[in-house]
Amino acid sequence: MSVHASARERRAGLSLLAGTHTRYWLLIAPALFMLCVFYIYPIGRVLWMSVTVPAPGLGNYELLATSASIHKMLLTTARITMVTTVVTLILAYILAYTLVHSSPRTQRWMFLGILIPLWISVLVRAFAWFVLLRRDGLINSVLMSSGIIDTPLSLIWNETGVMIGMIHYMLPLGVLPIYANMRDIDQRCIAAARGLGAKRFEAFRRVFLPLSLPGVVGAGILVFIFSLGFFVTPALLGGGKTLMIAEYIKVQILEVVRWGLGTMLAATLLLLIGGLLAALSRLVNLRKLFGAG
Amino acid sequence: MDKHDFAEDCVNLAIERGADPSRRDLIRNALAMGIAPAALTLAGNGAALAQARKEVVLVNFGGVAMPAFEEAFVKPFAAEGGKIVLDGSGALSGKILTMVRSKNVTWDICDSGVTSLGELGPHDVLEDIDYSIVDKSKVFPEFAYEKGVVNYMFSTVMAWDTSKIKTEPTLADFFDTKKYPGRRMMRKNSQAMLEMALLADGVPKDKLYPLDVKRAFAKIATIKKDLLFWSSGSDSQSLLRDGECVMGMLWHTRANVLIEETGGRIQYTFKDGLLQPGIWVVPKGNPAGKEAMRAIASMQKPEGQIRLLAAMGNGPANPLANAQVPAELAARNPSSPQNAAVQVKVNAEWYTANHTKTYQEFLDLISS
Repeated sequence: MSVHASARERRAGLSLLAGTHTRYWLLIAPALFMLCVFYIYPIGRVLWMSVTVPAPGLGNYELLATSASIHKMLLTTARITMVTTVVTLILAYILAYTLVHSSPRTQRWMFLGILIPLWISVLVRAFAWFVLLRRDGLINSVLMSSGIIDTPLSLIWNETGVMIGMIHYMLPLGVLPIYANMRDIDQRCIAAARGLGAKRFEAFRRVFLPLSLPGVVGAGILVFIFSLGFFVTPALLGGGKTLMIAEYIKVQILEVVRWGLGTMLAATLLLLIGGLLAALSRLVNLRKLFGAG
Repeated sequence: MDKHDFAEDCVNLAIERGADPSRRDLIRNALAMGIAPAALTLAGNGAALAQARKEVVLVNFGGVAMPAFEEAFVKPFAAEGGKIVLDGSGALSGKILTMVRSKNVTWDICDSGVTSLGELGPHDVLEDIDYSIVDKSKVFPEFAYEKGVVNYMFSTVMAWDTSKIKTEPTLADFFDTKKYPGRRMMRKNSQAMLEMALLADGVPKDKLYPLDVKRAFAKIATIKKDLLFWSSGSDSQSLLRDGECVMGMLWHTRANVLIEETGGRIQYTFKDGLLQPGIWVVPKGNPAGKEAMRAIASMQKPEGQIRLLAAMGNGPANPLANAQVPAELAARNPSSPQNAAVQVKVNAEWYTANHTKTYQEFLDLISS
C-alpha cells in the first residue's frame, strides 16, 4: 500500500514538474522569439552573405590568407589588443589588490574613482585625453616648463595614444572581476602560509596569486574581447593612422561597399571570440566568473 | 562616429556655427534678391497643381542643410507646382545599395559625391540622369555624368598657420619638412590627396589624369611620419586651430571658418586646389520616377544656388550663377572663374574606375 502511494506521489510530482517546465518555456517564449528575429536571423544573414557575396564560395575567406592589407590590419588589431589587455591586467591587479586591503572608507572613494569613468561616454573621454596629451597639452607643457624634456613627446596621434585611451577605458572592466575574486579569498590562507614560515612575497606568490588567477583570467577575457572590436578610441586618438578591425569593417560596409569582405571579417571576429570563450570555458568556470551560479 | 563626406560636413559646420543666424541670412538674402515675395505668391497657385504631381523625397545630411535646402530648392520648386520633401538621414552608399537591393526604395534624389559613383557604379543601383529634362547647359559640362549630375561645387585646398609659415607656401613646400618643419594633415581618404601630392611632385595640371597612384603614394610616404589624417571636417578645423599642424589640406568651407575663428592666423589658397562637384544621384526604381528629374532641373536655377553659397559656402554648379554672385561672396566662391582657373577639376571617370581600390590602398599606406 505504502509502495503504491509513494509511486503515485512520484508520478504526480513528475507531471507537476513537466507542467512547470512548459510554463517556464511559455514565459521565456516572447524573449526567445525576439532574440531569434532580431538577433539570430540578422547574424545568420551576415554569415550567409560572407559566403555568397560577391560570388558563392569561400573566396572572401581566402583573402584572410592572401591579402596583405588584411594581414596588416589584423596584426595592428592583435598588437594593440594584446598590449592593452596585458597592461590593463597589471594595473587592474594592483588596483584590486590595494582595494581589497583598504579600509571600507577608502574603498568607497576608490570605487567612486573606478566607476565614474565607466559612466562617462567614450567620446568625451577620448576628447579629454586629447586635451591632456596633445603637443601643447597639459602633460607636455608641464614636462617642458619643468625642463625634463625640450621637445614635446608624441603621446597622441599614434598607437601610444590609442593604447593610453583604451587602457583607461578598459581599466574598470579589469578591476571589477579581479576585485570580486580577491574579496572571496580567505585571508586566513595567507596568515597560515606566513605562520608556516613563508616570507611575505612567497606567501603572495604561492598562495594569494594562484587563488586570484580565475579573476585575472575572467578580466582578461572581458578586456580582450572588448578591445578586439574597439572603434571610437582608435579612430579618434590614432591620428587616422591606426586601422583596427572594427573600422576596417565599417569602411567595407558603408563606404567602399564590399559587403562580402566586410561580413567575412565580422564573421571571423565572431568565430574567433566564440572560439576563445569555448577554449577558456574548459580552463575556468565561466558561469561562476561572470556571477552566475 | 560621424561619416565623412563633404555634404554631411556642411551640416556639421553650420551646427557648430549656430543654426539660426544662417537661417536669418538666408531669408534676408532671399528678400534682398526679391525672390521670396514672388515665391510666396506663386506658392498658392502651385499648391493645387502639386496634388497631381508626385512628391520628391530629397535626402541630405540633415541639420542646417534642411532650412538651407528649404529656401534654396524646396520653395522655388513649390512655386512651379512641384513638391520636394527633405529627409535628413544621409544617403551613404551602403544605405542606397541596401534600399535598392531590398526593392524598398523610398528616396528620389540623394546628395552625394563622385566617389559614390565609383562605389555604386558596379552595382547598377542608380538611374540614368535624363538630360532631356535636366539642362546640361546649366551645369559645368565636365560634371554632368550618366548616373549623376552636379548640385554644387566645393574645393579641397591647402591652408597654413601664418604664425609658423610667414610667406605663402606652395604644394611642394607641403612635402618639404626641412623648409617648414612641423606636422601636416591630410584627409583620411585618397580623394584629392593623390592629386595634390602629384601636383607637388611636379606633374603638370593637364597631365594629372589618369593619376599615377604609385608616384602619389611614394610622395606621401616621404613625409608619412609628419602626417596626421582627419576624418571629419571638424577634426580638420581643430587640428589647425589648436596648432597641432602647421599646414593642412581640407575643404574650403572649413578653411573659411578657420580664417574667421583665428582672426586670420590661418590662411588658405585656392591655388592648386582640387575643384569637386557634389552630385545628385537617383536610386534605381525611385518612387517619384521622372518627377525627380524635374526637381533636379528646378534646382539648377542660379537664385537658389546663390542662396546655398551664402548659407553654407557651397559654390554654384550653374555657370550662369557666377555673374549674379554678390561681390562679397565671390572671393570665397570655389567655382568663380578666377578661383576655378587656378584649380584642377576632379575627373570622375577616373574615380568611377579606380577609387574603391585606391582608397583601400591609401588606408593601407597610412595605417602604421
